[in-house]
Formats: sequence, C-alpha cells, structure tokens
Amino acid sequence: MKIISKDDFTDFLNALIGDDSWNVIGIKSKGSKFAFGPLESAEELRLDYDVSLLPPKKYFFPQRETLFTYDLSEGFSTKNPEEPKPMVIVGVHPYDIVALLHMDEIFRETKSDPYYFKKRDASIIIGVNIQRISKWNFSSFMGCDVIDYGYDLMLTDLGNRYAINVGSQKGGELLSKYGKNVTAALARDIQIAGQKKREVMGLSQQKFDFPPELIPELLKDSYTKSGFWEKHSEKCLACGSCVLVCPTCYCFDVKDNPDLSLGHGERIRTWDGCLLEDFAKIASGENFRATRPTRYRHRYFKKGKYLFDRFGFISCVGCGRCSSNCLPDIANPVNLLNDMYHESINSGSQIAASTTEPDVNIQTEGNIDYVPKLATVIKKQPMTSNEILFEIRLDGGSELGHKPGQFVEVSVFGIGEAPISLSSSPTKKETFELCVRKLGNVTTKLHKLDVGDKVGIRGPFGNGFDVNSLTGKDLLFIAGGLGIAPLRSLFNYVLDNRKDYGRVFLLYGCKEPKELLFGDELAESTSRGDVEYKSTVNWCPENETWTGNIGVITTLIPQVSFDPERTIAILCGPPVMYKFVIADLKAKKVHDDHIIMSLERRMKCGVGKCGHCQINHLFVCKDGPVFNYSKIKGSPEAL
Amino acid sequence: MKPKVAFFDFAGCEGDQLQVANLEEDLLALLGQVEVVSFREVMKGHSDNYDIAFVEGSCTRLQDEDRLKQIRKNAKLVVAIGSCAAIGGINSLKNYKDLDSVKKVVYGESGKLFDSYAARPIDAIIPVDAYVYGCPIEREDFLHVVKSLLLGKKPEIVTYPVCVECKKNENVCAFERGQFCVGTVTRAGCNSCCINEGTICWGCRGLVDNPNENSHKEVLIKYGLTVDDAIGKFKLYFGWQEAKR
Repeated sequence: MKIISKDDFTDFLNALIGDDSWNVIGIKSKGSKFAFGPLESAEELRLDYDVSLLPPKKYFFPQRETLFTYDLSEGFSTKNPEEPKPMVIVGVHPYDIVALLHMDEIFRETKSDPYYFKKRDASIIIGVNIQRISKWNFSSFMGCDVIDYGYDLMLTDLGNRYAINVGSQKGGELLSKYGKNVTAALARDIQIAGQKKREVMGLSQQKFDFPPELIPELLKDSYTKSGFWEKHSEKCLACGSCVLVCPTCYCFDVKDNPDLSLGHGERIRTWDGCLLEDFAKIASGENFRATRPTRYRHRYFKKGKYLFDRFGFISCVGCGRCSSNCLPDIANPVNLLNDMYHESINSGSQIAASTTEPDVNIQTEGNIDYVPKLATVIKKQPMTSNEILFEIRLDGGSELGHKPGQFVEVSVFGIGEAPISLSSSPTKKETFELCVRKLGNVTTKLHKLDVGDKVGIRGPFGNGFDVNSLTGKDLLFIAGGLGIAPLRSLFNYVLDNRKDYGRVFLLYGCKEPKELLFGDELAESTSRGDVEYKSTVNWCPENETWTGNIGVITTLIPQVSFDPERTIAILCGPPVMYKFVIADLKAKKVHDDHIIMSLERRMKCGVGKCGHCQINHLFVCKDGPVFNYSKIKGSPEAL
Repeated sequence: MKPKVAFFDFAGCEGDQLQVANLEEDLLALLGQVEVVSFREVMKGHSDNYDIAFVEGSCTRLQDEDRLKQIRKNAKLVVAIGSCAAIGGINSLKNYKDLDSVKKVVYGESGKLFDSYAARPIDAIIPVDAYVYGCPIEREDFLHVVKSLLLGKKPEIVTYPVCVECKKNENVCAFERGQFCVGTVTRAGCNSCCINEGTICWGCRGLVDNPNENSHKEVLIKYGLTVDDAIGKFKLYFGWQEAKR
C-alpha cells in the first residue's frame, strides 16, 4: 500500500489530464446526482459520490457504437472504427469494478468481442472505496463492497491523504510516472484504511433476510409460483430503466443507419433491455415474452439463475441502481427476493444452498466478426406468393462450410440483418440456398433483389443437426409450413447419403395447397421409393385441387408405421405446432431423446451475446437452433 | 427518377413543416433524393402529381375528410407528420369540452358559423403508411423515416417509452428534480430531447402501444400531484388515444 497526500493526488491527476495521450474520465456531479465524464481539472472529481447515474460500463460498451461503416458507391467496402485512445477512469466503486469483471467474462465467452476488449485493454481503472453509501446499495451482501482485485489503483480516503493499493503493473507505472511524493504506507495507514472500508458498509439500509448465495436455489422453484410474478410486476411500466442502468446488463440491438446519400452508412449496436416490449418479438409478429410478468421474471432468472449456471456468479453487484430508478418502486431485488424467501419458507419449503458449484468453463474461439462477407445472388426461384428460394455464392470462391440445421445472418446494407436458416445440404458445396419468406424489412428487400445482386453473409451459426448420431436410425421428418426450409438441409443430406440411414419418412403440412414449398422436389424424392412422404393441408379452397390429406399435421402421424425404438423424429414448424406433435409422438412411445427440433427466435448477434433469442438459460443462436426434446422439455419458454 | 413529395397542412401550427424547412445542410442532401412538388411554407407552385404526401395537422372538420381522401388517392405513401396528424395532438383537448362552448371561446358569437367536430388524427380518416411523431417533429427522426421510405423499408417505430432514451442519455430523472413527467408512457424516438434540456416530457409523441397508465398515474400522485392534475397530464396529448382505449 502507498500513501499520497490529497494535494499531491490533485497534482497527479492534473498531470495526467495535461498529458494529451490520455483520455481522463472521472466521477463528477450532475445536478443532484453524479456521472462519469471527461475531467477538465482535478477539482471536478467527486470521490465522495454515492452512486453514478450510469455505471462506467458505458466506456467499454457504449449506449451506441459503430460496428463498421459501409460504402456501396464502388462495389462494397467497410471500415472498422478507429482504435480507441488510452483512457483512465478515476473514482470507480468496488461493485462497479466487479461488474466489469462480469462483463469481461461474458464478452469473452464463445467468441471474444473486439469492440469491448479494445477499449478495455486500453484503459486504466482507478477505483475508490465507498465514502458515502447510496440508500439502495446492498453490495456488501453481494460480496462486492470491498475488493482486492480488478483495479489498477484503488484509493481509500484517510482524511488528509489517500491510501493507494496498486493492483497492476500499469497502475504502478502510472503512479510513478505522474505522481510525486508517493510513500510507503505505515502500519497506522493500513489499520485506518481497514476501518474506513468497514465503517461505510455498516450503513447499508438494504438487508437480505437470508444468505444471498441461496438466490439460485430459491429461484429454481419459483418460476411457476402462482400469481407471484403477476403481483410483483403489476405496476411495471416496461420502461426498461432497471436494466438500462444495470452495470452487468449487456443486451443489445444491431441496426443500420444509412446517411442521406443512402449508399453510405454505419451498422450500429445500441443498448437494449429484456424488459422492453419487443425484445423477444420476431418478424412474423410472434412475441416470445409478450407480457410484463414474463419479462419481469426473465430479469431475475437471467441474473440469479441462468448466468449463475453458466458463469457461477449471481449477475448482480448490489449497486442499487435498478431500485433507485424504478418509479413505481418494484425493481428492488432485495424486496422481491425477501418476499420470495418468506413465501417459500411459509409454504414449508426448505431452501439450502446447492452443494455443487456450477461447472464453469469459459472457452473462447476467436473474435466475433460483425462485418459480413460479400455474396452474390446466383438464382432466384419464386416458390409461393410469399417465399423465394435464393441460391447464393460467397464472393472470392470460399465455401460456407455449414452443417445441416445451421443458419446465417443475411445483410442488406441500409436495411439491416436477419437470421435465415440454410435450406441446402452441405453436400452442395459451392453455393447454398435460403428459402426466404417475406415478413420484415430485410426479407421484403431480399425479395426485390435480382440475380447478380449482392448481400452480406455472416455465419454459419448455431449447432446444426448432429448427423453422426442419426446414422443407422430411422428418421421421421415432421415439418409445418416454412419449417420445411431448415429440415430440407438435413433431408437432402440424408438423401445424398441414403445408405447410412434406415427408413426415412417425411410428413409435411401447410395451411393450404398454394403454400406448399418444394412441392415438385418432394414429389420427386417420393418417386425414389426409399422415402415415405405424406403431405397435408389444413384446408383447401374450393377453386383449388388437392388430392392429399386434409387436416393438421398431427393427422399424418397415425398414417405412417414406424418403430419408435429406432426412429428419431425431427421437427420444425410454427411455434404452435411442437407441443401437439410431441404429445402424439409420445403417445406412440417415441423416447424423449429421440425427438429433436429446430426452434426459431430473434437471433441477432449469432454468438450468444445480444440476448434476444434466449429461451430460459439457452441461446438459440449458439446452444441451438437444434434441440433435443429431453434437454429442453424443462425449459418452459421453449415450446 | 427521384420520388415526388408534397406537404399538406390541416389543423395545426405548421411547426412540423418548419422543422423540415430548417433542416439546413441536410435539406440539400434531401433534395438530392426527392423532388418537392408542393410545400406551401417554402415555395410557390403546386402539383397533384406526387408519390409521397407528408400531412401535418389533425382533422377537425367534415370537409377535411374529402381533402384527405384526395391526398390518399394521389399519393403512393402517406406520412403523418407531427402530433396533430399522428395522434390527434393537442387539438384533441377540445374533445373533452362541449363543442359549442369551445367554438364560442375561440370565435365568440360568430362561432356558430364555423364547422368543427372532435379533433382526430388523419388515420381516423385514411390509411397512413408511416408516422413521424412529435410536437414539433425531431429533424433526425424525420430524416430517419424519409431514409427508410426511400430505401423501401418500413420505418421502425419504437414501442418503448422515453425513459429508455433518458437513461441512455444519463439524465437526472425529472421526478428526482421535483418535476412531473409522462415519459414513462410516451413513445420514444425523440432522444428524450426535452428532459435533456432540463424540462419534462409532456407526451407529445403519444402513448406507447401498451402503456401502464394506471401505474404511472399512481406514480404521479405518489410524487405529490393531485388526481386531477395527474389526469390533466394525460389529457394534454393523449386525448384521442385515451378515448380510443
């Protein structure tokens, strides 16, 4: 521990501010509150603050950030944003430092986020121990009030001087380069610093009635608690304030922002929030968390359970910002969780902390690339009045190299990006096919493209079907409507490797005959003699002809005779379809782990970060879109 | 060929068209993309041959309806600009009063000679393809809608309230400043411009699709507003929307 007088600290800071190679940020007053902002002089610094309006996260993961700029005037080119200037942030409280450590792990998992880490790596954090505590703060309960890791320098106010803990080499170097009269701490300084830290935390006005490490276990049994979430969210304004001010929230949206020339623009990402109404809504209009209680509950589960199971931490540092920003006063986690705890105890439940810790294994495979690869439309084949099959080739001769069941993010610059499942088998290598239904802005624009036009492609994303595990099995494909599009990538793969599989059934249903996709192709595969194909329509208008079955997709299941022991059922269709088909398959004695399905959600980033496609603890974009029923049946949001 | 655009006004202050006229350097860039064939506030001349009609002002008389229908017939796209056209706006305040007394207050005894009915947004009369909310409209928001239309994109309309933008802008909440705000139930898209400047949200962009009005009225009262004043806060801009709900 080092000691510096307050006057010398002021000089240290002014010397830093005077050096143009640094961008110096500090905690300053803003009206009656405090906010981090650029420091013009050391006098502006308010280390006696209680809590900042927004956490310092905004410097690493800004409210609005340019991912790249594009220029369509001469073919197509993109430019990445400039390298960030080195930055020092002065006055970060311990809980906000822990929150940054959470963010580091989240932005590193699976694919590393270069936008975040470029700024993070170029920064120095000078923390300060809490001198004045916000009345909403409960960081001591979350273990985030006093820390000895995560900072470069950490200040403790000792009256006329600061004690400084040096947490990193670059922190130490900064101090010796810009600081004067820095001395070693005496025994009394260490003792006083210890007292000061504890003193403040004793003033916390928030109190958990139970040990917070029980939160994940407590939540586990509370998902379907009758009326509980409805009662607590009744006053929710769905304004998103609780998540937007949160230091550990990281959900985002990605959008295009063209300029007035329309040929140039930028792709940006902006903060989003799972409490907001359209967060889980997809282009077809389906909203997977349409009601306030479901969104309100998701926040608690994401923070207290889903992230805990993945990372081993409760994604809350106890800053209390959510509580203080909620006008109807329903966002305070302490109140809600205490209430949940007492209700559970009163109803006779025993809550004990789990004896096993989650298995945390953070793997990183390279960086996320938000810049799409350029590709060309090779063929455009109208299928129905609303669907077109596109054949696409990546420019520069590279192959997509996908697995059946994966998807790509398709860009139309100026409009945006949309997830589209791959419809072609990987056995077809040079090009790939996408069956696109006209629904939202991107797909509407895609329909207007001509052969030779360019699109952007990111991916392939997702797990895809595990074709090896299907070898030697009988396969029962069940597709509803556009659900045939992703299944076709596997179906065609199976046909191309027909000898590796047993019997193959395809049951396909759509609303009416004119909506049938790949009709000729499917008829042809029937004529091979080694596929049993049945199709159905929900109804047939009087002026149209239909010789097949009429009825919903489940009416086809009794029409085929399969051996439930050796059959794998493979499902894809509209959200409403799954539970009915699964019920009928189970009635036929098909094992749970013999049912696999591809699910659709709002996949935006493709790498399990943005949060839009989340089904309980699962990210459809990376844990799916293909799920085994035995693994997902416990996730109530799935089906 | 550049799309032809025309501007029209009904009951309103023309402040939204003024915002367009005040686009400064963006106006030149915009004129590179569209041909303006009718814009009474800035030019002479008029043509009925246009692709996009921007309509300001609310419909307050029966005879406005024919003119609106004619505009709809001429245009490929109709865009409501400003609160009056998009949500009925401040004009809808009169809908809470007896029409005869309103006419008398405004025109005196000669009020009897004027036609008037409950103020309403233009989509109460004709289908509308896009909306630019606000009183007045925000220039950036106007450009966002225009760019979307030129690119063949349905302009995104956010469904979240102003609080989202306020938080991102790191404003001190108006309630913390002792003021009363309806940003919690008002459609965002303005970048919380009023609160950024130290004042409150009056609700000019109208209610979000699914507002929790009762909860917010409770908040207003909890923070010290009388019940009447809380209801009044909702009347200022939300009149037509509330009547419909």
